[in-house]
Amino acid sequence: MARLLVVDDESSIRLLYSQELADEGYEVVTAATAAEAVERIRESEFDLIVLDIKLRNESGLDLLQKVVKERHNLPVILCTAFSCFKDDFSAWLADGYVVKSSDLTELKEEIAKVLAKKKQLKA
Amino acid sequence: MDWECCWDREVIEPGECPNIGEGEEVLYTSLRRRVLEKCVDCPRFRADLQQMRESGAPMVEILPHILAELQEQRGKLQAMGSFLDSRDREIKFLHEISLVLQTSVDLDEVLSVVMTAITAGKGFGMNRAFLLLADKERKALKGYLGVGPRSYGEAWETWSEIQRDDFTLKEMAKNFYKTKLSSEKQKFHDILERLVVPLAEHGHILNRSLREKRPILVENAFHNPDVDYAFAQMLGVDTFLITPLISRNRRIGVIISDNCITHKPITPQDVQSLETFAFPVAFAIERASLYERLQEELLKVTAANVKLKEQQELIVKMERMALVGKITSNIAHSIRNPLMIIGGFARSLLRTASEDDPKREFLDSIVRETLQLEEVLEEVLNYSDSLYPALDTWDVNHLASTVCRELHHRLSERRIACRLRLETGLPPARIDYRQVSYCLRTIIATAMERMPGGGEIDIETRLGDGWIILAVKDTGQPITRESLEELTSFLDTGQELGNGLGLAICKTIMETHGNTFDIETPPTGGTRYIIKLPVNTEGITNG
Repeated sequence: MARLLVVDDESSIRLLYSQELADEGYEVVTAATAAEAVERIRESEFDLIVLDIKLRNESGLDLLQKVVKERHNLPVILCTAFSCFKDDFSAWLADGYVVKSSDLTELKEEIAKVLAKKKQLKA
Repeated sequence: MDWECCWDREVIEPGECPNIGEGEEVLYTSLRRRVLEKCVDCPRFRADLQQMRESGAPMVEILPHILAELQEQRGKLQAMGSFLDSRDREIKFLHEISLVLQTSVDLDEVLSVVMTAITAGKGFGMNRAFLLLADKERKALKGYLGVGPRSYGEAWETWSEIQRDDFTLKEMAKNFYKTKLSSEKQKFHDILERLVVPLAEHGHILNRSLREKRPILVENAFHNPDVDYAFAQMLGVDTFLITPLISRNRRIGVIISDNCITHKPITPQDVQSLETFAFPVAFAIERASLYERLQEELLKVTAANVKLKEQQELIVKMERMALVGKITSNIAHSIRNPLMIIGGFARSLLRTASEDDPKREFLDSIVRETLQLEEVLEEVLNYSDSLYPALDTWDVNHLASTVCRELHHRLSERRIACRLRLETGLPPARIDYRQVSYCLRTIIATAMERMPGGGEIDIETRLGDGWIILAVKDTGQPITRESLEELTSFLDTGQELGNGLGLAICKTIMETHGNTFDIETPPTGGTRYIIKLPVNTEGITNG
């Protein structure tokens, strides 16, 4: 079972993602801030991070850079309401990019795709 | 002694002197005037003198000398009088012409006056005249206008007409300007077209006249070593007068005049008169030309002002739009998360609800409405984003292939084949990558909508007319003119958001940033969407 870390400052979104992704068969851990996320990553291993770009008072992109530096093989999917970030150079470090939507199909597909790619690379 | 003449009588009766005509009745009573004006030329007086000589009167011998001197002086006086008369007429004529020239700033009006004055009998009475003007680049003298008859028949007709109408010079010039200017230009079209003399051709007789600032009367033109034979042949006359037009040391042009019909000799008096005439003419032509250029510049300045005003209005509008966009963007972002939560949970509940649960309908409605709101939000955000372009240097081929790759899955699902025909060696473009990418995605999405049963999409890049052309062609039903207008109008029609404003936003984005976006329906079917992007001439390419 793949372990996912969902980082979002909105508790309802964390709850929604947790439920929906758990239904897909993933083990989901959540974090509300960048600091909390770093703590969780240091505590245990994850297969993928679903990261909101705009966290309260901090940038998810900074966290992305930190993650890439420390755990370069840990894939990150950026998930945001701001579609304009897609072509941001910092966002290019991510393995996937999903614009927030009530329909989580795209997110789920992206997670499956990135995990499959990771598995393929390991093999 | 009986005298034949009446010189010895103070007063005479009508009929006594055969030389006194009508209107000269005063001479019947004025002996002094009668003797000086009539008797000295009268054969009767000479007979009386002879009779006196025979009578041996001593004074008689010197009288013929006095008479001869008197007649000579009188002849000189008359010649001077006639010279003064002709000068007076010329001055009056020049004054009249000058008045017209001074008041007109219309080049063709000025030229009509000038050419009429040269060729009219009431003016200088030359048969024909050609005007050559220095071109704007000051590289050559070029034939501008020719006036006069081309044949004896035409000359006869024109001159009879002039005699019949008896117009003043001013009236003739006005008439010429209104009715004959263009036809005369046309009439001498063949000659005028060939009358081109480079100003650098120093040896040419026309340039010599300009350089020496004096008129040149060319005689024996066909055998004159100073005259180019082809030039003489073109004019078709042996004798012609070249009058330079110079204003403040600037070479304005030359007038070539001749008597090609009557072959009347051109006198030194003609040469002198035309030379005097040339000064105000050159000045008037230069002034009219300057005025014409001033008008052109004024038009340019006016156009620039209008453009500037439009730009200012656009800037104000854009600033207002940018502010609106900023506010809209902030609101839209604030709405997106709650909307996603509502819709997301509704979907979650819907998925877990049993088929016979009466709440399914409510949940379904929440999901549907949330989706609709999210679509509106997407369009609002895309539009407000378009107000902040981030221009940079990008490879359009890379952009096209990326977008195509991203949409590959959706295209395959709909059984649509996407072909890329990308020109190699394409220069980089200066664009907002995200926005052009959005437009291309929107175009492909629109094309997909138009091909529900599958089809083909061709994406082509190429260089054309200094632009990078990004064209998308589909094989769907061609867009009609009406629906095209609907699809591409946005702000004007007040169309509701969420109703497929993609192409309208594309158009706005493209045009706001100086690109162009066109939609065509080629005769071969389908619809072609064309985006023209500016080539970047500096910097490094991204992507």
